[in-house]
Amino acid sequence: MLAVDVKNIKKTFVTKQETVEAVKDVSFQVEQGEIFGLLGPNGAGKSTTILMLTTLLSITKGEASILGLDIVTKDKEVREKIGVALQDTGIDNLLTGKELFFTTCRLWGYSKKDSEKRTIELLELVGLTEAADRRVKTYSGGMKRRLDLGLSLVHSPDILFLDEPTTGLDPGSRRVLWEEIKRLRDNGVTIILTTQYLEEADELADRLAIIDEGLVVAEGTSDELKASIGGDVITFSFKNDSDLKNAKNVLNDAIEDKDQLRITVENGAAKIPSFINDLNKNGIIVSSVSASKPTLDDVFLEVTGYRLEGSAGTDSSNELEEK
Amino acid sequence: MESNRSSFVQLQVLTKRMVLRVIRRPLAELPNLIISAFFLFVYDGALGGVFGGTASGTPFDFANGNFINFILPVSIVSASLSGAASGIYLVEDIESGVFKRYQSMPISRWAIILAPMNVGAFRVLLQAGLILLIGKLIGADPVVGNVGFFIVLSLAFIWGMGFAGYSVAAGVKSGSSQGAQAATFLFFPAIFLAPTFVPREQLKGWLETAAAYNPTTYVIEGMRSVMVQGWELDILFRGYLAATSFAVITLTLAVISARKATEKA
Repeated sequence: MLAVDVKNIKKTFVTKQETVEAVKDVSFQVEQGEIFGLLGPNGAGKSTTILMLTTLLSITKGEASILGLDIVTKDKEVREKIGVALQDTGIDNLLTGKELFFTTCRLWGYSKKDSEKRTIELLELVGLTEAADRRVKTYSGGMKRRLDLGLSLVHSPDILFLDEPTTGLDPGSRRVLWEEIKRLRDNGVTIILTTQYLEEADELADRLAIIDEGLVVAEGTSDELKASIGGDVITFSFKNDSDLKNAKNVLNDAIEDKDQLRITVENGAAKIPSFINDLNKNGIIVSSVSASKPTLDDVFLEVTGYRLEGSAGTDSSNELEEK
Repeated sequence: MESNRSSFVQLQVLTKRMVLRVIRRPLAELPNLIISAFFLFVYDGALGGVFGGTASGTPFDFANGNFINFILPVSIVSASLSGAASGIYLVEDIESGVFKRYQSMPISRWAIILAPMNVGAFRVLLQAGLILLIGKLIGADPVVGNVGFFIVLSLAFIWGMGFAGYSVAAGVKSGSSQGAQAATFLFFPAIFLAPTFVPREQLKGWLETAAAYNPTTYVIEGMRSVMVQGWELDILFRGYLAATSFAVITLTLAVISARKATEKA
């Protein structure tokens, strides 16, 4: 049985002023025990998709099920199966970590005795035992995220939804959370997470879908997506804008990326001389050129036509400076 | 696990959590507790000399010689308005996202809504009880005996629940704690367009008319009847009727707005 089965879901918000199609057409399937990533920029429709799947938002069109349970007609049963840590779910800052776990355990139906036991287990699981008696307002951002994760695990859910779990965290805290998410996957929990970090999607997701403007524009494993581009990515930089403009006319298949041109070809390093030759013949001066294996960044650029803001450029690059 | 998950337990757990929140920010709560007591002293000090024992035998002796008996209901009604904090508690949860967390769990919607109202009710009882105690210490003495204090407290409780419902409805509707706070503005017409300092017969013109349509009038008169006049059952009945009607209307509004808030968009 699929953990999550989403078929052509759509969400339209209608206000007096405007109608917004936040999710236009999203479909994907998630197998049990995998980490599935939804990668996309702010406003792509990732969080809206998660809100619909966690039964917090109605679906305008389409259908979806969690472990075979329809999320519209069986929403109460669905909530029993899922854990949710959303971007905007709050934590009561005036309570201690221990009190929050205990309260949440009681709300999930644990007896007082079992709640105490489960609280200790979860505090240990998310590494907050020492901070258990401190009020949450004294916690760091990373500690709050781990607490949030722990709270979503109280009832041992089969499926965990994490909406941008590491946004705003420093690299160290991010890595700690990644390890915890992987450990949960290794223990059999299915995880659906949204992220706008390419590195995070690459590191964590067994499979991922790229969402842009409410549509799934690519889906697969990270390697599959990179392979789908084919070959190597050659990146050209130019002395000035007019050279960049002229170079686009010479390299017809190239994609403009800020002040660079990128072209994907087989055996890229070997083809660089001939490309430079063609450009030079047209009086275009190349200031630098590099060839690299495609990254998720390249995949994103290829399928959306733009880069994710703040994403890293190439990795494993073989950059050549033209004198 | 589900067998232990009753709405009652959830209400209990959520109420306890909210009580902890209230206790942990005493500076936000204490002024409200003190303010009604402060006004009791001010009213007594400023007006007791005019309408108190010295007015005995004059047309101004509408307190039968004990002005504290006459003015205490005003302080109690003021205190009962602290039930309006319920809406602010609830909206704080909406603003902080805690409300959404609870929505994602299989928790009774009523438990989520009723928990802040429970705490509001607790506040009303605490505050009104404190004022009654102070009133007793400075000479309040219901003509129907000490049972009068319980009648006053019960009216205050029902009236306070009415304000709790009103604030929840206003808070959820506005979606912000500022909105919930602003809605407590109703306090002023409620308390001052009423026979606050003199009996209704002494009011004139538009104020007399406004007081006749203000349910606070009947609540204050109900309380005063047991403090000053004796067992005037028709006045007492009108007091309970006004308080209960107000509570029923506002709690219905609270339920409707809360239901809308917990519905999926």
